[in-house]
This record gives sequence, C-alpha cells and structure tokens, in this order.
Amino acid sequence: MAQAEVFETDFWKDANLRKVWDEIVPGEPRKTLPYVLTKEAIQLYCRSVGENHPLYFDEAYAKASPYGGLIAPPSIHILLMFSCTPTDDWMRTPGTVNAGQSWSYNIPARPGDTITLQARALDKFIKRERLFVVHDNVFFNQRGDVICSGRGQTIRPM
Amino acid sequence: MTTSFDKLSTGDTIDGPSFAVSRESIRLFCDGSLDYNPLHLDDNYMKNSFGKTNFGGIIMHGMNNFGLITRMLTDWAYPAGAIHRRLETRWVKPVKPGDTIQPVGIIKAKQTTEKSRWVLIDVLVKNQNEEKVAVGEAMVEFPLTA
Repeated sequence: MAQAEVFETDFWKDANLRKVWDEIVPGEPRKTLPYVLTKEAIQLYCRSVGENHPLYFDEAYAKASPYGGLIAPPSIHILLMFSCTPTDDWMRTPGTVNAGQSWSYNIPARPGDTITLQARALDKFIKRERLFVVHDNVFFNQRGDVICSGRGQTIRPM
Repeated sequence: MTTSFDKLSTGDTIDGPSFAVSRESIRLFCDGSLDYNPLHLDDNYMKNSFGKTNFGGIIMHGMNNFGLITRMLTDWAYPAGAIHRRLETRWVKPVKPGDTIQPVGIIKAKQTTEKSRWVLIDVLVKNQNEEKVAVGEAMVEFPLTA
C-alpha cells in the first residue's frame, strides 16, 4: 500500500517543494495516496470534536443498526484530506487559511476501507488583495463508490 | 421525541452541543484531523500578520466548527432514520483558546422531490459572547421509508 508509514507533522518540512499560488494550475490533478481508514483513526477524530455516537464506537449497536456495522461520521473527510495527500501538497503550506467549504455525502466511510481521492484546484482568483484557490475533491472507497464530494476555498499565504 | 418530516415546521430549532475550546482541544484536533498547520500550534508564528490580519495567537481550525455542526446534524438525523446529505459553511470570526462555541440549526424549508424528502437547515455557530463565528446551510434527507 502506497501509504506514508508515519505522518509528517512538521508542515515546514518540504515547504519549499509546495506550489505557491502562482504555480497552481486550475484543472491540474493533485497527487494523492490511497489510505486505509482504521477504527482507531475514526475514533481519534471523533474524540477531537466530541463525537460519541455508538455508530462510531459500539460494534454491537452498529451491527444491529440500519448501517450494519461501524461507520465514520460524514465529516471524516477533514482527516481524509490530509491522509490521502503527500507532504508536498499545497494544502499543507503553513499559513493556508480555510475560507469555507461545501460537502455532499453519499455513503459512509467504514473502518477498513481503502480510501482514494481525486482532487484538483478548480479555480484561482484575487479578491481584496488576497490570493484564493478553489479546490474540489471526491473520495471513493475500494469498490469505487463515492463516499463524499466537496469544494472549498483557501486563502494562500503571501 | 423523535423527529419526523411531517411534524417539522419552518423555524424549528436544533440545539447543538456546547464545546469548550482550549489549547488541548486544538492540539487534539490536530491529531484527529492530521492538520498540523502552525496557525493552530505555534504562538511565535502567530505573532506575524497575515495580510491585514493579526490573530495574536493560535486559532482553532475552522473545520472544528464543521465537525461540531456535523455532530449536531447527525445526532438529530440518526434517530429519525434521516441522512445528513450536505453542509456548506464559511467562517466569520476566529475562535481562540478559552472560547466556548455552540452550533444551532434553524429549519428553513422542506422540499419533496420525485423520490425523496429534504429538509433545508440554516446553521450557525456562536461563541460565549453570542457572536457568530461560523454560518452555513445543511440539507438532510428524510427517505420515504423514514
């Protein structure tokens, strides 16, 4: 599996390899990595936002529910955005400010899923002296089912 | 009481969970989301100005708002057999350690389509001073079987 063994938490490392606003080409795919989503990763994310629903934690409850087993909360794409991209991805550039997002949800991600991402910058523009990039993203599971799709805007550091 | 599509009215509200923001909660969100942007970690870095903005210290991830709104919506939808289908947000004001934030949802409209039923919800997140820190809108599906 082409997955980083240890996630690099120092976002300054490789910062010089990342594209700046001038170099980002709208329409060009971003490099992405498949990622095996674990129960532990789901539950750590859940704890960080206070999620405690038994669909995410209680196997017996989840199995008896319409979902038939443990799932991840819809907002798990927050984690997937970083776990499915390499260290030189421009989303990691220090000072990148999130200016808003919209996401559509199809089916839940589940523990054990191998998640893939198709992503690109879609547009870039300048507004009130700030440099914006619009990014769009679709996450899939190992069967090719769409989990969720979304679009966001970031303000690029200058 | 369980929510049902038929009983919902425009203006009904959904109360979300209160969330105390601290340096520790922001650090835990770094670990949970793998977003280690120094905006959320490094006080020295945050002494810098960003264009015309100086935050004066680390700030909470905007997506922490998004995760909290999602928690409100799914906790409301699951018992009704409803499905959270869409969330759009934008951030209005930075959130800092020491703040307490709470999302709320307000039913804006109901829509029946050829094959399903949908509820549109205005969402906002307020801090302890009743200031809006995030706004957005959501869409929850109530399948005909729900």
